[in-house]
Amino acid sequence: MSYAITGVGAVASIGDDPGQIFDALCEGRSGLGPLRGFDRERFTARQLFEIEDRSGGDGTDEPGRATRFLLEAVRQAAADAGLPEDLGGIPVLVGTGLRELRSLELWWRDGVPFAAGDLDFGPALRRRFGAYDTHTFAGACSASLYALALGWDLLEQGESDTVVVAGCDTVTESMFGLADRVQFDPPDVVRPFDRARRGTILGEGAAAVVLRREPVADRPVRGWLRSVAVNCDAHHQTAPDAAGVRASVERAQAAAGSRPEDIDLVVLHATGTPLNDRTEAEVMAGVFGGARPAFTGIKSLTGHTSGSAGLMSLIVALASVAGGRVPPIAHLTDPLPEGEGLRLVRGAPLTTPVRVAQINGFGFGGVNAVAIVAGAA
Amino acid sequence: MTGTAITGTGVVLPGIGDPAGLLRGAVAGAGPVCPAELIGKKGLRFKDRATQLGLCAADAALRDAGLLGPHGLRVPGGRVGVVVSSNLGNADTVCRAVETIARETTAALSAMDTPNASSNIIASETAIRFVLRGPNLSVCNGVTSGLDALRWARLTLRSGRADHMLVIGVEPDNEITRRLAGGPVVDGGAAVVVSRTDAEGSTDAVGGAAPRLLLGPVVRTAELRDAAARLTAAAPDGGGGLWLCPDPALVPSGAETAGLTDWGECSGALGLLQCAAAVGWADAGRTGPVHALLGGAGAEATATVFRPAVRPVLPAEAPAEAPDEAPATPPAGPLTRHAPHPALPVEEPA
Repeated sequence: MSYAITGVGAVASIGDDPGQIFDALCEGRSGLGPLRGFDRERFTARQLFEIEDRSGGDGTDEPGRATRFLLEAVRQAAADAGLPEDLGGIPVLVGTGLRELRSLELWWRDGVPFAAGDLDFGPALRRRFGAYDTHTFAGACSASLYALALGWDLLEQGESDTVVVAGCDTVTESMFGLADRVQFDPPDVVRPFDRARRGTILGEGAAAVVLRREPVADRPVRGWLRSVAVNCDAHHQTAPDAAGVRASVERAQAAAGSRPEDIDLVVLHATGTPLNDRTEAEVMAGVFGGARPAFTGIKSLTGHTSGSAGLMSLIVALASVAGGRVPPIAHLTDPLPEGEGLRLVRGAPLTTPVRVAQINGFGFGGVNAVAIVAGAA
Repeated sequence: MTGTAITGTGVVLPGIGDPAGLLRGAVAGAGPVCPAELIGKKGLRFKDRATQLGLCAADAALRDAGLLGPHGLRVPGGRVGVVVSSNLGNADTVCRAVETIARETTAALSAMDTPNASSNIIASETAIRFVLRGPNLSVCNGVTSGLDALRWARLTLRSGRADHMLVIGVEPDNEITRRLAGGPVVDGGAAVVVSRTDAEGSTDAVGGAAPRLLLGPVVRTAELRDAAARLTAAAPDGGGGLWLCPDPALVPSGAETAGLTDWGECSGALGLLQCAAAVGWADAGRTGPVHALLGGAGAEATATVFRPAVRPVLPAEAPAEAPDEAPATPPAGPLTRHAPHPALPVEEPA
């Protein structure tokens, strides 16, 4: 079984739509910059992948930015899919790591007006799109792929013909600060799957797709969703567990009816943290064995965009399926030993036919989600 | 088609630890819930209050469903998932961290708070403690969160992603959540285990757990009154039984109600308190349906109907009268027969 992806939308520090983001990845343009929304003097790390949309000067922040990014990604995806302006009862599922907690921080610390009801994205989606079947899931770094799994289930169980799935995040000062507390020597850049990787840097972004049970006549199909598998390591709050990660990958492949040798591209979770990348590399080497898909990842240029990261990777995979071009992993020069047998794309974009792609998303709390997409049969 | 049923519940409120107590209302003079007394001190250190409360509710519900024994889980952990409903859960960690950073620098933060900055901390800690490797979801969806969580549990069971879903709803009471909610917060909550049955309407659940209530479809509407109308229209008996509804004006006349309003702002916990109240109703021998609705004024609503599972009764045990007419152990307290203005309680509080 597979479902049509009929619309895509995304915003990130490197681009205002999926096309711009894909081009930036292929050209190696990074969104990394000095801290804009926080007081730099209070942190050891002083860089983030932020979207430049604030009206105030450096060091001052404003509420509601995660919502703003979400609404733009959903707007793009809905327009791409030709959905009506009023989404009404069409389910909108949003995966996020940090909800509107940045607004909550500004409320508590600075007295910026904020209502508890705006912690989730339902009220804003209702105001903007008339959507009332809206759902906010807090699922750390795999949140948007987890939401995609529920979107799949809604279609499969006949509860809906059309579903909008999205992910979004800004960076909260609490998350950035708590990471800063334990990261004494912050990385200058994100180096996924490199021996010299020293940790991740967070980023901002939103991504959205429209899923339909059946394609719509005279509308383009951006790709096909073959499966989404989800599970939980039940092992550790922050450290990954190879057995749980591997189980999620194998389940996604089995559900899609894809053998490892059927998969042409894997978009890695690849955060640039020592333990996460090592675990992911080991699992990939184990699962794919002699199969030789291309491996890429986007976080060296977008940063770790948390809840939106999985769908952002999926939209990049769809662009590779459509165009036969795979962006390289920026800042990867010396692959980690566990990934030596993997065909990691580096240096320049790889031109290769991509029929089937796998997208990995692994989050805090051991929440794993893996999706398989394909082009037209 | 796969059916789904509630097979266990746990209630964590001041002075109350079972669903029957929930229907009796608040316990005067009861102190705050003490998690260490309920599940032991081990594993609670550095956990935020919401997570501790969630672990207590989870422990009770898993035991009640018969899934958790003295030697751990009795079913494969890969087939048990978790859904947590909480809106205010980690607000305290988040707000206190920015306060500390503003006062000093990040060096003054506690590294032990790091996992609590992520809003899925309750669900992931629950998975770790009980080794539940199925789908792990955190629903933060405003006032409807609790019944939304039930909807996702039901969906993931029907799609075959799990055999049992542990659904938890908790909210902590502290200075920050009080200010957000505009008053005291429940500082507790409830959990249910929802299990697959082998067929729609069947009373055989996977793994030996006994169904207490069968789950009906969960409806989502643009407004609360639409949800009430949908439930009434779908009910064969015109909407009798028990109604748990934030707007008393929407309860059909003749139906019974329970307010569940004794514990302050319940937010994401309210839907699970409704589920637990439904279990209390069924355990008391009542056989009428339980209607649960959530939604704010003019805002979207989520609602569902539970039907007490009819258990096979041996002739010797058969009651002389239908249980709905004369329950063997009537739930005392704030259960009231709903009548149009003024509401007249037919059962006086015990």
